[in-house]
Amino acid sequence: MSNTNTVKTDVLIIGGGPSGLAAAIRLADLLKAKGLQKEILLVDKGASIGSHLISGAVVKPAVFGELLPEVKLEEIPFDSKVAGDAMYFLTANGKIKMPFHPPYMSNKGNYTASLGEIARFLAAQAAAKGVQIYSGFAMSEILYDPNGKVRGAKCIDTGLDHHGNKLENFVEGTSVEATLTIFAEGTRGSLAKKLIEKFGLQKGRNPQIYSLGVKELWSIPEGTIGAGDVYHTMGFPATDWGIFGGGFIYGLKDNKIALGQVLGLEAADPTFDTFKAFQIWKTHPFVAKFIKDGKLLEAGAKTLPEGGYYSQPKYYTDHALMVGDSAGFLAMPALKGIHLGIYSGMKAAEAAAIAFEKNDFSKETLAVYADLVEQSRIRKEMYPVRNFRAGFGKGMMAGIFHFGTQIFTCGAGICGKLKTQPDSQETKTLENAKKPLFNDKYKDFVPQYDKVTDVFYAGVNHDEEQIPHLSVNNPPTYADINIKQFGAPCQYYCPAEVYELHTDKNGHQDLRIHAENCLHCKTCDIKEPADGITWSVPNGGNGPDYKYM
Amino acid sequence: MSLTIISLIKQVPLPSEMRMGEDGAMDRTKAKSIINIDCQFGLEAGLQLKSHYPDARMVVVSMGPPPFEQSLKNALSMGYDEAYLLSDRKLGGSDTFATGLAISTLLKDLGYTKDAQEPFIILAGRQSSDGDTAHVPSQVAEAMGLPQATFVERIEPNKDGTITARRIIEGGYQMLQLPVPCVISFTPTGIKPRKASLVGAIKARAATIGVKSVDDVKMLPEQQAVIGVSGSPTKVANVENIESDRPPIVMAAGQTETQLVDSLIENLKKGGNTLVKKEAKEKKETDVADFEIIDQRGDNKGILTWAEVVKGDIARPSLELLTPARHLADQLGNNTKITTVLMGKNVKNLAQKLFEHGADEVIVVENDKLEEYLILPFATIITQIIRERKPEIALFAATTAGRELAPRIGMKTGSGVTADCTALEIGDYNDKKNKQIIRPILHSRRPTFGESKLATILGFVYPQISTARAGTFAVPAVQAGRTGVLSTFTPRLNDEDFVVKIKETVRGEGGLQSLFDADVIVAGGRGTVGDGLQLVQQLAQALKDKGIKAEWACSRVVVDDHYAEYARQIGQTGKTVRPKVYVAIGISGAIQHIAGIKESGKIIAINNNPKAPIFRHADFGICGNYEDIIPELIEKVQAGFTFGVKPAA
Repeated sequence: MSNTNTVKTDVLIIGGGPSGLAAAIRLADLLKAKGLQKEILLVDKGASIGSHLISGAVVKPAVFGELLPEVKLEEIPFDSKVAGDAMYFLTANGKIKMPFHPPYMSNKGNYTASLGEIARFLAAQAAAKGVQIYSGFAMSEILYDPNGKVRGAKCIDTGLDHHGNKLENFVEGTSVEATLTIFAEGTRGSLAKKLIEKFGLQKGRNPQIYSLGVKELWSIPEGTIGAGDVYHTMGFPATDWGIFGGGFIYGLKDNKIALGQVLGLEAADPTFDTFKAFQIWKTHPFVAKFIKDGKLLEAGAKTLPEGGYYSQPKYYTDHALMVGDSAGFLAMPALKGIHLGIYSGMKAAEAAAIAFEKNDFSKETLAVYADLVEQSRIRKEMYPVRNFRAGFGKGMMAGIFHFGTQIFTCGAGICGKLKTQPDSQETKTLENAKKPLFNDKYKDFVPQYDKVTDVFYAGVNHDEEQIPHLSVNNPPTYADINIKQFGAPCQYYCPAEVYELHTDKNGHQDLRIHAENCLHCKTCDIKEPADGITWSVPNGGNGPDYKYM
Repeated sequence: MSLTIISLIKQVPLPSEMRMGEDGAMDRTKAKSIINIDCQFGLEAGLQLKSHYPDARMVVVSMGPPPFEQSLKNALSMGYDEAYLLSDRKLGGSDTFATGLAISTLLKDLGYTKDAQEPFIILAGRQSSDGDTAHVPSQVAEAMGLPQATFVERIEPNKDGTITARRIIEGGYQMLQLPVPCVISFTPTGIKPRKASLVGAIKARAATIGVKSVDDVKMLPEQQAVIGVSGSPTKVANVENIESDRPPIVMAAGQTETQLVDSLIENLKKGGNTLVKKEAKEKKETDVADFEIIDQRGDNKGILTWAEVVKGDIARPSLELLTPARHLADQLGNNTKITTVLMGKNVKNLAQKLFEHGADEVIVVENDKLEEYLILPFATIITQIIRERKPEIALFAATTAGRELAPRIGMKTGSGVTADCTALEIGDYNDKKNKQIIRPILHSRRPTFGESKLATILGFVYPQISTARAGTFAVPAVQAGRTGVLSTFTPRLNDEDFVVKIKETVRGEGGLQSLFDADVIVAGGRGTVGDGLQLVQQLAQALKDKGIKAEWACSRVVVDDHYAEYARQIGQTGKTVRPKVYVAIGISGAIQHIAGIKESGKIIAINNNPKAPIFRHADFGICGNYEDIIPELIEKVQAGFTFGVKPAA
């Protein structure tokens, strides 16, 4: 490696979402207060900050006052203050309004927002505090020192063909050597995953479990919905498949509406298709009326780590910290992770500042991060609902029972710590799955928009010349197990039609991977049964280009 | 002595960012800016050259408003060392002539003059996506007095310090040897631009860009008089939307190839979408009563054209050029003559062909050294003839030669040039400011902004120079036995006109008349080389077996990769065809290819990339892999499906 391609920094933050940016802001402030001159470098794989950010979103605002005490609340680019907040249970044709909100789900005092807007604002704040932010660069490898401790990360090599051969325009990825590396890659971070594996950081914890959210942003005629009106739905159509989750409909300013559905990835049915379920949900009269005369502006999808308190990995090791979704900072049942991501970034920054003061980045010193989290409101929000999501692991009705008991036992429920198993292991074979299969029941359903259209509206772009960033882990067994026994579930669960099961005239089937469609939601990495699929990071600047998601 | 590599770049709106709204109109509001694609290839060529000269100084230069600094920073992050931006309000609205002049002034001010002690090389993109003229590299070269090569794909340095350049020409390529300093412009077909590295981006953020005004670079007052919107020799008089002459595509629906092909056949039966044409609004420039009518031409009179000789015959586009020339001569009246310049080795006998196609006079320049077209002596000779004959209009076919020759000559005559015209008319210029009507004046109409707009451009310096798009005008009917004035011209040439050497010219055979006669053309692109175009050929054969006049063809990349001979190449540097049905398989649909197929009856596109531009230019489409679709289609043809075309009697 040539030295001209190595950069040294004190802190490397991988990921420019709310948690990474919060860590940067807080650490810059703390180091300044302590009179320490340290360089903070933040790198994001999106073409620009916000390009890869998608969320509902309804945000709890209080955290911004703590992160940026000098900034007034009205300076933060929220969309609208929550005005109305209602929950409906949808049946196939009707709806039942819930007379009250389930506990932990009230949105009073919250704001609707585009997460991309918030991140762009935070990035500007961070830059003003001296944080060096670079977007469009993808970190594909963790660097370790000779003792096996984290020493930074390396950008992906570019200018390779599909097989990894160097082309004439080959550029070696820059190595960033850092004293402290903060992993803020978001849900199912591809480097965070490696870090967790290498250091056994999930040991003794529940496996992380996930949901997949699919969202569309529409422009609608004036008067269709009030800005700040918030509706949540449960029931149709996911309940029929025993899948946890529901829909959201948020009124935004300038006659826009955000609507989506967040459904657990625990489906046993190998043909369950979250995207299709979302399109089916959109046809429910209660939902359809909102978009009747509207126009689709943007679309996208992402996964959410829903395992909660017991599924969180140990989020520190020597010279490294994990924040936000990568470390599972998300509270159910309200599905709120933005403010917890920010809090986790702040706590990580506080731990980092202590480490810089001591000039000691051992895991013993960085363990203070966990203490700070435990003392913070993060615990107050995550601990009482620690068993919430696991309780729904066996279906909606069992979940409601568990949740009910949890409310009366301050979260413990009647069984103590509920266990989860990885979403990939929940999938049953075609033979063993309950009939009718989801895809058989909705075989003739024609969605308003197909997956490829929504991919177009996500502004997805991938360089043609690179190693495909999605790979089947064990090709020899794939045809027999994943295709024959499971029916290639990836063709259903992937919301971007990356995976196509092609059948030729002789009946021979093979999987075709259209990596260029990928929305970076990571569902395949999470949900593929048997030996699975691995999602790696593609070239920097590739992927969706969300504007107001 | 270390080499300096200078890249000229332009910032343009990102074409793919312009999303199509539901009304079919382009939504430009979301468009981001990028470095013009061709310029990115120039940047990469510079970085490749640096690998041979590790000590080379890497300089990037642009002209435009302050936001262009972003693109210069991006170039720095790719590996360039210094950046300069010529930015001045006085330059706003400059045409290509003024742009070339201004950039050359900046480069000279930076010390890069023809006689500089240190060697340097100037690299640029072939043309910009928002202007499409390909003029500026030629004009910079001429204004600096440097040799040039345009439409270049690759360069290699030689041991003796010269550069070998592979230049694309109609039907093949040419290997040129250029001395340093020189100017080279790149097509987007060479080595793809690299991605910036993080270390490069960090370096770029810290770098400062040298922003210069026209005064900073000591532009002389007489030069400042011919820049900007008021000084430029040409003006954009009008821009109108081009209404698509093809209705929106009908895509085949289905999961399997059988369903997709059945759906295509069904769609073809239904006839596809129809286009609702809006009433064309006739806008007539009416005389304004008290405006004086001015004829500015002085003693400039007549129309000059250049007849390009390729392989001992006059190139078809040069014959086509005589159609608009005759039309303009008729409009001008007053016994306006068409004079055609014919240069080469033993070319005199071709003059008769020019007379029979409408030339009134042919000026023959014969010289053994002129056997192959070379930009420098050809530009010198035509300029000498223009100075002697003083035509009011000079026309060139927009071939790879014409498109570099016209701007180089335009820089010598101070004329400015309008590129790649699809219509040429004589009209007025209503000068409201000075309350006068300039009449007659040449209205040069050309598509721009990715073929979405039609601009009308006027020239105010004589001769008014335009290039005409090949394939747009028909070859004039032959008037057998027609004669004209045959004269000769002896040019004044010197060694400097021959500093660029042709090492090799490779041209494919131009024949294969059957492509012009075919009812169905099955064409394969890059996406079909997997089986060496076997399936493409089999589909064409299946149609022939059914008695259909069918032929197979291909796009340029296929010829370049030696999967097919040039005679089968369709597009701007190949054939322009007009079959009843054109089946484009695995062809992405570069604008150069579309130019060759637009006049086809129905266009059917088969491509596995739903975003391929070809789908925007086709009537029917299938999104799928050709290996799956074509065998199915062949079976249908064998069962009697012939794309609605009847067998030839």
